[in-house]
Amino acid sequence: MIEPSYLKRADELSRRRARMLPVLAIIYLSQQATFFSALDPAGHESARTVKIGAWLLLSAILLAALTTKAFWFEKREVRDLIDDENTRANRLDANRYGFIAAMLMTMATYLLVPFEPITATEAAHLILSCGLGAALLRFGFLEHRAHRDA
Amino acid sequence: MPERLANGLKVRRTELGLTQADLAERVGVTRKTVNTVENGVFTPSALLAIKLSNALSVPVEQLFWVED
Repeated sequence: MIEPSYLKRADELSRRRARMLPVLAIIYLSQQATFFSALDPAGHESARTVKIGAWLLLSAILLAALTTKAFWFEKREVRDLIDDENTRANRLDANRYGFIAAMLMTMATYLLVPFEPITATEAAHLILSCGLGAALLRFGFLEHRAHRDA
Repeated sequence: MPERLANGLKVRRTELGLTQADLAERVGVTRKTVNTVENGVFTPSALLAIKLSNALSVPVEQLFWVED
């Protein structure tokens, strides 16, 4: 038997995650314009570094949230409950979507380069954003659907 | 037509007067997982199916069956 308070807490956090993930994905994907304006050679070097650094940090946090149990400051029992069988299946499916999206973006980038040369940084940015964004959206959708009628 | 795993989870749970949260507590998963199994959205592993049947005191083959 599981401690009821742990179960209640895990349910709350799981619902919160289902609500947050699509919002985070949209915020993350909407950052693209900021990134490409930061690459403008006319811009300030320090501003460019800050913008790119912030984007990279956000990417790393989202990747960690997507691939681990997340909620790092919660009790281990609660984290184990949040990461139950259904969540793991949803995460696997989301990662599959992310991988496919990243591969498709890689192919698109490869095709685009002869017509519109881009730097390695820009290519890496496009592929990472596309893969991570797709995985986040899919995970959010599956988690949201799982909570429906619960 | 693809086969799917149907279940009588909701019927049996209701018979015993349990809520999804009660069953989740007995099995050690979140309410979300019980809900998705009940609705046929998620196909549980053999381990979870056996845990559910034990918690509901019915043989696993009575709780889950293959539907065409």
